Amino acid sequence: MATKHLSPEVLNERRKQAVRLRLDGYTVAVASQQTGLSAPTVSAAWKAFREGGWAAVPVKPRGRLKGQANVLSADIQALLWQMLYQEPQDNLLHTMPGWGSADLAEWLNTYHAVELSQRAIEHWWEAEGLKHEPWRLNHFAKQRSQEGRWFRKSVLPRFAQLKDADQRWQGGVRRVAHPSGSIYQIYLHGSRGRLLMRCFKKPPEAKAYVAVFEALASLGAAALVFHGALFSASPEVTAWLDQQPSFWLVPVPADLVLDE
Amino acid sequence: MTSLTHLQRLEAESIQIMREVVAEAENPVMLYSVGKDSAVMLHLARKAFAPGPPPFPLLHVDTRWKFRAMYEFRDKMAEDIGMDLLVHINPEGVEKDINPFTHGSAIHTDVMKTEGLKQALDKYGFDAAFGGARRDEEKSRAKERIFSFRSAQHRWDPKNQRPELWKLYNTRKNPKESIRVFPISNWTELDIWQYIHLQNIPIVPLYYSAERPVVERDGALIMVDDERMPLEPGEVPMMRKVRFRTLGCYPLTGAVESEADTLPAIIQEMLLTKTSERQGRVIDHDSAASMEKKKQEGYF
Repeated sequence: MATKHLSPEVLNERRKQAVRLRLDGYTVAVASQQTGLSAPTVSAAWKAFREGGWAAVPVKPRGRLKGQANVLSADIQALLWQMLYQEPQDNLLHTMPGWGSADLAEWLNTYHAVELSQRAIEHWWEAEGLKHEPWRLNHFAKQRSQEGRWFRKSVLPRFAQLKDADQRWQGGVRRVAHPSGSIYQIYLHGSRGRLLMRCFKKPPEAKAYVAVFEALASLGAAALVFHGALFSASPEVTAWLDQQPSFWLVPVPADLVLDE
Repeated sequence: MTSLTHLQRLEAESIQIMREVVAEAENPVMLYSVGKDSAVMLHLARKAFAPGPPPFPLLHVDTRWKFRAMYEFRDKMAEDIGMDLLVHINPEGVEKDINPFTHGSAIHTDVMKTEGLKQALDKYGFDAAFGGARRDEEKSRAKERIFSFRSAQHRWDPKNQRPELWKLYNTRKNPKESIRVFPISNWTELDIWQYIHLQNIPIVPLYYSAERPVVERDGALIMVDDERMPLEPGEVPMMRKVRFRTLGCYPLTGAVESEADTLPAIIQEMLLTKTSERQGRVIDHDSAASMEKKKQEGYF
């Protein structure tokens, strides 16, 4: 495999291996054969080692460093915040339980003539601490852990009823520490980890959760694995959930660790 | 001669105080609030009188509003160590259903804690009561002596305290007077945590960080420990990773957001903190110098 197709981690490991082989007295040709690297790459790694020691062997990280990206202008950021604090249904386009990067990009383009890629919005989310990674729930399927038992007992039967991946959601609520103060975020992950969100200046109230759930339920039968709220203490949410024939909420117990 | 570490010095001082009280008092008792300071004090008492059990009972002045985990821990500890545990709840408070929500924190504390304590001390005729207060907790506690004398009405007079020079304690009481004794008065919160870690002392799990259902009240994170906690219309408790630096009645005790789920992590967090643990206690902020007023009226 050509070096350019290797991940930086694998490439660095192989460069180190090549240097170790050279230190053991093997030729460039043998080192190249054993590591799968080209002869010039083995030579380059060897040269780097002789000039700078082990620290010089790994390649430099590819691409732009984190934080060096073009920062969105203050006006665009203000617009994005404004939208995240509003219900998506109030503004546009589709009935969605939260704002996705595509919706935000479309809305900016339609109403403010601002061209912004989804990727730029997702980078901005990351910089603001709003990006939440989906849990790899399927990894728990065969685990002999508390998480595994919970997944098999509570999640799998619900998910099994819903054949379409678009009907299986996961989400939660959390507080995001932000330089401007506390931000409360309801996040949702759809199929393939697509992230949707809404933000609040105070802990979300029952009507906000119900609005999100209603939007999800309007898309069809759905199951939502949800973390971060004690709905059993909320009569409004439990009453709404009781009336739903095809929307299932699976709360994540407090003592489970789903983040990797 | 080997020199003692600062914790060994504090331990020796506390043990000396306890032995002094047992030698001088007729009917001592140890107040047990189930918190970390009580845990350390109990551990010190068991060390002071080993191999026998401490020659006094434990007294828990219950308000009915402690965390559920505290009740479980209290009962387990009493069973494990084999000491007498007296639990007193102010019957008048129960009759009037005094609680922190409808009556407010000041009345609740006064009736269920201060009056409850005075009732229990009178009922059993205790003339000396060990308490786990520390000077670094709060300014009125800082100026209180280790041997704190109370009138027949259990009142404290902060302007009339006995000197304790060279750690010599004057234990002579006037008739009907009683003493509140603070063996760990000179310890700091950090000392307590280090000692708990070194001696492997069991504590209530609420001190460790975990996801718990909380609501925000005036900037404090209050844990929804049972269904008695009234929620605002539309309010939904959020699960947040919190722990408690101090434990009391759950509606009056604020949690702190923390990732410290082990003793070393708590100690590390302690090294960086710049606030008193009692910042989380609602009753300490009732009014200016509220703790001193409560103490004058008989609060611990």
